[in-house]
Amino acid sequence: MPRLVYYLAVIAVLAALPFFLASYQGDVYRKMLLWVTLALGYSFLFGIAGQVAFSHFAFYGIGAYGVVILWFKLGVPLPLAVIGAIAVCAVLALVVAIPATRLEGFYLALATLAFAQLLIVVLTEGGEVTGAAAGIQRYALPAIFGVRLTGPYYTAVIVLLLVGTYAILSRLERSWFGRACRAARDNSEAAAAMGVDVARIKVIAFTLTSTLAGAAGIVYAFVDNGVAPTSFDIDKVFTLLFMIVIGGSGRLAGAVVGAVLLYLAPFVLEPYIGHHHPLVYGCIMLAAILFQREGLIGVFDGVRRRFARARPRSMELAA
Amino acid sequence: MSDLLDLLVTATASGCIYGLVALSYLLMIRPTGIINFAVGEWATAGAFAAFAFLTLVELPYVVAIPGVVAVMLLIGWATELVAVRPLVVKGAPIIAPILALLAMLVIMREVIGWTFGPDQFRVPYPFGFRRVELGPLGGSPQNFFIIAATLAVFAAAWFFFERTVWGRIFEAVAINRRAAALMGINLARVTAFAFAAGAACAGLAGLLVSPSFSAHWLMGVPLAVQGFSALVVGGVGRVEGALLGGLILALAEQLTQRYAPIPSGYAAGVPLLLLILFLMVRPTGLLKAREAR
Amino acid sequence: MSTPLLSVCRLTKRFGGLVAVDALDFELASGEILGLIGPNGAGKTTTFNMIAGAYAPTGGEIRFAGAPIHGLPPHEIARRGIMRTFQHNMPFAGLSIADNVLVGAHTKFRGGIGGILVGTARRDEAEQRRRAEEMIAFVGLGEAVGVPVTALSFGQGRLLEVARALAGEPKVLLFDEPAAGLTPGECERLAGIIRGIAERGIAVLLIEHDMRFLLPLAGRVVVLNFGRKIADGPPEAIRDDPAVVGAYLGDPAAAHAGMRERR
Repeated sequence: MPRLVYYLAVIAVLAALPFFLASYQGDVYRKMLLWVTLALGYSFLFGIAGQVAFSHFAFYGIGAYGVVILWFKLGVPLPLAVIGAIAVCAVLALVVAIPATRLEGFYLALATLAFAQLLIVVLTEGGEVTGAAAGIQRYALPAIFGVRLTGPYYTAVIVLLLVGTYAILSRLERSWFGRACRAARDNSEAAAAMGVDVARIKVIAFTLTSTLAGAAGIVYAFVDNGVAPTSFDIDKVFTLLFMIVIGGSGRLAGAVVGAVLLYLAPFVLEPYIGHHHPLVYGCIMLAAILFQREGLIGVFDGVRRRFARARPRSMELAA
Repeated sequence: MSDLLDLLVTATASGCIYGLVALSYLLMIRPTGIINFAVGEWATAGAFAAFAFLTLVELPYVVAIPGVVAVMLLIGWATELVAVRPLVVKGAPIIAPILALLAMLVIMREVIGWTFGPDQFRVPYPFGFRRVELGPLGGSPQNFFIIAATLAVFAAAWFFFERTVWGRIFEAVAINRRAAALMGINLARVTAFAFAAGAACAGLAGLLVSPSFSAHWLMGVPLAVQGFSALVVGGVGRVEGALLGGLILALAEQLTQRYAPIPSGYAAGVPLLLLILFLMVRPTGLLKAREAR
Repeated sequence: MSTPLLSVCRLTKRFGGLVAVDALDFELASGEILGLIGPNGAGKTTTFNMIAGAYAPTGGEIRFAGAPIHGLPPHEIARRGIMRTFQHNMPFAGLSIADNVLVGAHTKFRGGIGGILVGTARRDEAEQRRRAEEMIAFVGLGEAVGVPVTALSFGQGRLLEVARALAGEPKVLLFDEPAAGLTPGECERLAGIIRGIAERGIAVLLIEHDMRFLLPLAGRVVVLNFGRKIADGPPEAIRDDPAVVGAYLGDPAAAHAGMRERR
């Protein structure tokens, strides 16, 4: 019960925040929440399940384009379009996962990278169906129960997505499933000997996180009321990777920290560095890999440990 | 018919570029197992170095080529020193240098983009535009030069691996790192050499392709993907595989673009599909590593 | 005479032209400690790997409680109640000691992913955590809780292997050279643990090279040489069997004499 109250409080605060922000800030805030959502799923896939995949943004795009094409272009009623888009993501994720997770380490990365690039090609060449390079623009959510969900009011939808994603992933992480994913990551031979169906666990982890990314895509489609291939290009997944490594790979809290930091950093750095903020990401990422592979969360943990050790000593001195 | 032959020449030249990038990967993967996605940015660096030497400083081509190669050797060595050596020394898992190199990819790209700006930079055609005819085959002089240069590099690489002591050392490290170290081989030096040589190959690819496509700060990642596709198709075990893979990829791409009844934009997808196909069906590529002798 | 829990019948494994295991027969009953020994290359590890599911046999059968299990993958073998340890300790480096042991209990968690999401898996989790603590105490790793798995000594790592395998509530426990790399004190402790395991009714199969560890511990010993069984009996009988002695000392005459007797 207290957990549910906690979640509701967080939802309320996060959803209410944009009403205190300027319209432009609200937009940045909403996009940041979407990146946090993506980072959570990606952190699970990369850090906990140990799969290096570059297809996360591709599924984000498939979710977004899926719902828009089904609803706006094909006239499917919105609830069915949402379900349809999720189904397409799940099926495609399975189709990619089943052969791809058999591949060793970085061959999986390559296959998913190729898949992501292929998607961009298909979207760009899709002509009428996908709107080609310009994408599909200028549609808008219908009024739901008489309420137009735009601007700050749409934040509630994004927050629900974020909290829902977090709730699902944190439960999975702490369960036998999370343990099995980590075991398969650390030593697949021993994991199999303990009864873990390694192939199946990998497929489930990939499909689940990719489908969650697709769900985020569906929500994204109505943030700007436009989808274009450039929103899903390969660079974005590198940024996502940097976010979770810098924040702390394999920890959901790390994903949040990394995503917030790296999403807001360009706005702070713009006067000094213009559009070349990825340079800063790259440097911090390099520093993280070389010096603190547990990321910022690792730094925080280290500080906490040092305070825990310090306290008994100071009590002794006082006595 | 001459149309097809012309296309063959163009495709071969394209394939040579992919092959050079694939060779770059191969030189680093074999002794260390590290997949260095930053090869694309190395090619970009080569292209911009070519721009600097040929357009800015207007050096003659004969001087510019070794100049670019020298710069690239330095960049490769520096990359290894910063992103790989400290991690190998620490005994980090192989994902660590791969991620560090991804970070380097972004750093290099942004540095190039910041220094030169987002425009395309013309690099002069060193041999002019007059069509060259070699029997039934005809094409631009640049394409023939690319093919010739690539053949020279691959011949040198083949010779290196098959006939020189250092090549043997590379193979030994590729087969069993620990045993090689125990036998006194200096792993750090082999790795540094691998990265320097890899950078030189990738940089050369950038130099060779820059007149046709201009130097642009974002040209790296597509080249990196195409190069790796070529490597997967051709097989990581043999130097010749890199070139074969590149040629097959380029041929498939250009034949599709020219003759297939689908919009030409889809041709960009062909290397990707081939990569996926090979990863699924034959991840070891077409050419197997030679049996131990 | 207890019914055999695990039975191996004309088990054969060929690698190309090499016959690693040749028509091997033996049985294992609940609560029994069976040692599988033989000189290097005799086929012990291959046999072990076939039972554990790492290889599929070329011929013959492996039956567990009467049902065929040969050719099943390792996770299916574990699911049926046959767990194993690894000679070169294979802990999960990114997990705590308790979590390592909990992975051993993987097959005991009921309810799929749905159960996790809805929250019904929480009871299983609490119960298995309690069991895991019991197993950790049983093997004597209690004080090491909180130590990162990578910092454990080799002997402690071995104890972790055992605790982890026990967490799965196995009916058969396969030990791959459990004494290898242990100090004499650690060996004694391990022998006590293995006896305790057998007393709980679990069938134990050990591959071992260390005779001082194995012979006092095993109730019965099967000896392999060149992939074939050359002896099967209590440790005292094995020790004096000329075929066995011949196999280990490399005396072909004695070895062949022993093999001819068997046939």
